[in-house]
Amino acid sequence: MTAPQARSAAAAVPPAAVRARDVVASEWTKLRSARSNYLTLLVAAIVTIGATVVVAHAFATTHGPPPPGPITPLTASFLGYAEYAVLPVSILSVLAFTSEYSSGLISTTFTAVPRRWAVLAAKAAVTGTAALLAGELLAFASFFLTQAILSGRHRGLSLAQPGVPRAVLAAGLVLAACALAGLGLGAIIRHTAGAIAATVAVIFLLALVCLFLPSPWNARIGRLTLPVAAYQVVALHPQAGLLAPALSLLVLLAWPAAILLAAGVAITRRDA
Amino acid sequence: MIDVDQLRKRFGPVTAVDGLSFTVRPGRVTGFLGPNGAGKTTTMRIVLGLDAATSGTALVGGRRYQAIIRPLRQVGSLLDATAVPGGRTAWFHLLSIAQSNGIGRRRVTEVLRLTGLDTAAGRRLRGFSLGMKQRLGIAAALLGDPPVLMFDEPVNGLDPEGVRWIRELLRSLAAEGRTVFVSSHLMSEMALTADHLIIIGRGRLLADTPTDRFVESSAPTDVLVRSPRAGELAALLAGRGAAVVRQDDGGLVVTGLDAPAIAGLAADHGLAVYELAPRHASLEQAYLDITAGSAEYRAAAAAGEGTPGR
Repeated sequence: MTAPQARSAAAAVPPAAVRARDVVASEWTKLRSARSNYLTLLVAAIVTIGATVVVAHAFATTHGPPPPGPITPLTASFLGYAEYAVLPVSILSVLAFTSEYSSGLISTTFTAVPRRWAVLAAKAAVTGTAALLAGELLAFASFFLTQAILSGRHRGLSLAQPGVPRAVLAAGLVLAACALAGLGLGAIIRHTAGAIAATVAVIFLLALVCLFLPSPWNARIGRLTLPVAAYQVVALHPQAGLLAPALSLLVLLAWPAAILLAAGVAITRRDA
Repeated sequence: MIDVDQLRKRFGPVTAVDGLSFTVRPGRVTGFLGPNGAGKTTTMRIVLGLDAATSGTALVGGRRYQAIIRPLRQVGSLLDATAVPGGRTAWFHLLSIAQSNGIGRRRVTEVLRLTGLDTAAGRRLRGFSLGMKQRLGIAAALLGDPPVLMFDEPVNGLDPEGVRWIRELLRSLAAEGRTVFVSSHLMSEMALTADHLIIIGRGRLLADTPTDRFVESSAPTDVLVRSPRAGELAALLAGRGAAVVRQDDGGLVVTGLDAPAIAGLAADHGLAVYELAPRHASLEQAYLDITAGSAEYRAAAAAGEGTPGR
């Protein structure tokens, strides 16, 4: 037993921080080396901006007083973003795990890093960071674009107004929350189609279903759904009957946190 | 060194691995043989910590695989060569694996060259042939320059040149003092590659033996004799206590007497003999004998044929 064994036994154990950095580097390489990721993000960005312009124009050209209901000059900025950025980015995040399960690559991944929660944490760090950056970029772009169009009608908001920067930042955060929920559901469900369906349910459909519950349960349960919480966090003037913005922020973050926790339990307890 | 002790794995009602114990030692190629469904892949997956054993232990270098820090530097493995991300290039695929264990880019280039894939480094994996994917999987296993290597059916679907390349690679890795554990359902391939055999069937150990001793111990040899007066010769042989089976083409398959004794007997009685061939049962036959009855799925006809000629 010779050279190879002797050398390996002598190798020092690297500190945990170094090992964590290595796993993150590995996951970052995976993310950036798939061409489809760039393509999807690019298309999502273009469609988001396009939809934002359309919505802003429609909003700007409505005559008379602003329409009642949840659409305000601020939330109008994020209508395009809420659909055309959130959905594709969340689906990409689902694929972070499901594509590895469907190709079988997950065995290689877990063989290289047998502490599976470290894989989950690294994927969450990489996906969450990328989604947060993309989210903030698109949220600010959507905001400025919309306000530029609205200002022609003297209905625009400025970033200097109280609460506005916080709201736009929060809109960017929503993308990261949805992406992380998708990531975790992908790890739990493992099959792409099922995981996407579950993700769409969490980030859109549950809130719609709650609308049909008898009052007052529609609001009581609805305010705990991710999209309603996201709306409250982003809105300049929170709707009455829903949770306060600070609590809504907690709800918004609790969804991905709970899902990731469940994912951590699922992937460590099951056979790969 | 790989130590498997009383390993058991149940999938619902199916027991895939049933109280398996063996040790794989360094410095030689150990073949892991068994029919399809015998539990080879499951055993390897348990060793790698991918599946949890129902009971028993599997240790690599004295430790559970999950407890090894940066395991690719200790154990290199290839389970399924086709399990690769089609959209990624060979370079980035290997880089992502290397980075997770703190292995540098230079080593990625090295293993690509070692496996003859350096010119394909920038190509996406969905365009790789099965042979190239096998090489890629082996490149990934070699990334950490590990003392222990495990390959599941590495020659499956390879052309003869690829088979020979893997055979020589395995032998050279073992010659360097590494532990090399290779599964296969093809005895003929293992006969050429492995120094030692671990044979399982239905999740149980059937044999754990040096390759050369395997044939001697488990397969009796016989002698094929042809004579124009086969009937008389057969009667003579039977009279000396030999078991004689007459083949369709008139040849006699004799067990219980060796070739010189048969020749002497024929000469004493003036019988011409125009073929006298001692036959060693092939490894393949020995393997079929030992695994008979333990194959998970078998064609009905094959099961009925038994062991022709004997």
